[in-house]
Amino acid sequence: MSNPASASTVTYSKTITVGVLLALLMIFSFTDLRHDTWLKLYEFFLWLETTPFGVIGKTWGAAFAIVEAFHLLAMALLGGAVIVSDARLLGWLFVDVPARDILDRTHKVFVIGLIVVLSTGVFMACGVAGKIYWLPVFWYKMLALATGIFFVFFIRRPLLRHPLDEIHPLVLRLIAVSSMLLWLTVAATGRWIGFAGS
Amino acid sequence: MINELLLQFAHWLEAQQYSQMLVSGYYSWNWLEATHVLTLMISIGSLFIIDFRMLGWVLPNVPATTIADRLHKPMITGFVIMFITGILLVYAKPVENVQSLWFRIKMLLLLLAFVNAWIFNAKMRAADGSWDADRVAPKPLRTGAIISLCLWCGVVAMGRFIPYDWVDCDKVSNTTLLWAAGCVEQLNAI
Repeated sequence: MSNPASASTVTYSKTITVGVLLALLMIFSFTDLRHDTWLKLYEFFLWLETTPFGVIGKTWGAAFAIVEAFHLLAMALLGGAVIVSDARLLGWLFVDVPARDILDRTHKVFVIGLIVVLSTGVFMACGVAGKIYWLPVFWYKMLALATGIFFVFFIRRPLLRHPLDEIHPLVLRLIAVSSMLLWLTVAATGRWIGFAGS
Repeated sequence: MINELLLQFAHWLEAQQYSQMLVSGYYSWNWLEATHVLTLMISIGSLFIIDFRMLGWVLPNVPATTIADRLHKPMITGFVIMFITGILLVYAKPVENVQSLWFRIKMLLLLLAFVNAWIFNAKMRAADGSWDADRVAPKPLRTGAIISLCLWCGVVAMGRFIPYDWVDCDKVSNTTLLWAAGCVEQLNAI
């Protein structure tokens, strides 16, 4: 006979993990730890500017601009994947196509877009590391990006691996709306770095 | 001649009150530019999915025309928003844009992209529907998709280059470049 107590612990292990992580994040945010960590990171940001990426980004404006263009194109690709999959979850598009097909195929496109966004983003950040360190909007973007990645790989994907007809439609809609809002925030804060830094 | 006319028109636009309001307002300019760039995720994002489907890279099990038909509305909505915000951005800085080589190349690529989209759409409608469920579209449509991807990547890249001053009128001396960028005063001074 299976032990009901251990079964429920297994079932809720991810929820418990998320709860613990949120609690740790709250402790980090509302104590001096956040400020101390931020101060310690300054040396790291200055070092980023001395890396080959940082030197190229600072020396050749053309290289920086070309990478910026790829960053934008990758954001567009990521956006396309998010729109198609979330619009399917909301029942706005492709309602006659099995949702499972749309979700699995677009996830691959999303991952490719995310990899290019992250790699080009790191390159761009290295070139202006000493400047963006002081911009609050850069940290908002990092927070939004980390939340978006965490949401996709630790909440959205694991949840959507279950048979979709077993998930409450409201939960599916909430996931879709949260996903769209998160990635819009990532893109918007990213764009605002340019305005804040100029 | 055309460069002179364009520059005169740009100066006339720049002198208007609303043009100055758009460019001087920190939030008006930033919101306009941010909306223009962020709408990329809807318009170019949808376009990428349609073109990738034609090449068999995305959703190969969903009929190609289904993808194109369903994404048509969000894609056009995105392009309309980009078009409106784009016009307002040019209206805010008309002289700078009229004398930007990148802006001019962008407009040329945009024109080519729309012509390609029109041909692509006509070819898709005219093609025998038996290919619709195939993994990849027929060669003419695949060619159209590749041209579309290249042109739109070019449009985005040129748009991104506009703020950079590498080929601004006061930075170049080559007469061909000056003519291509519409640097009327610098050309007259030579």
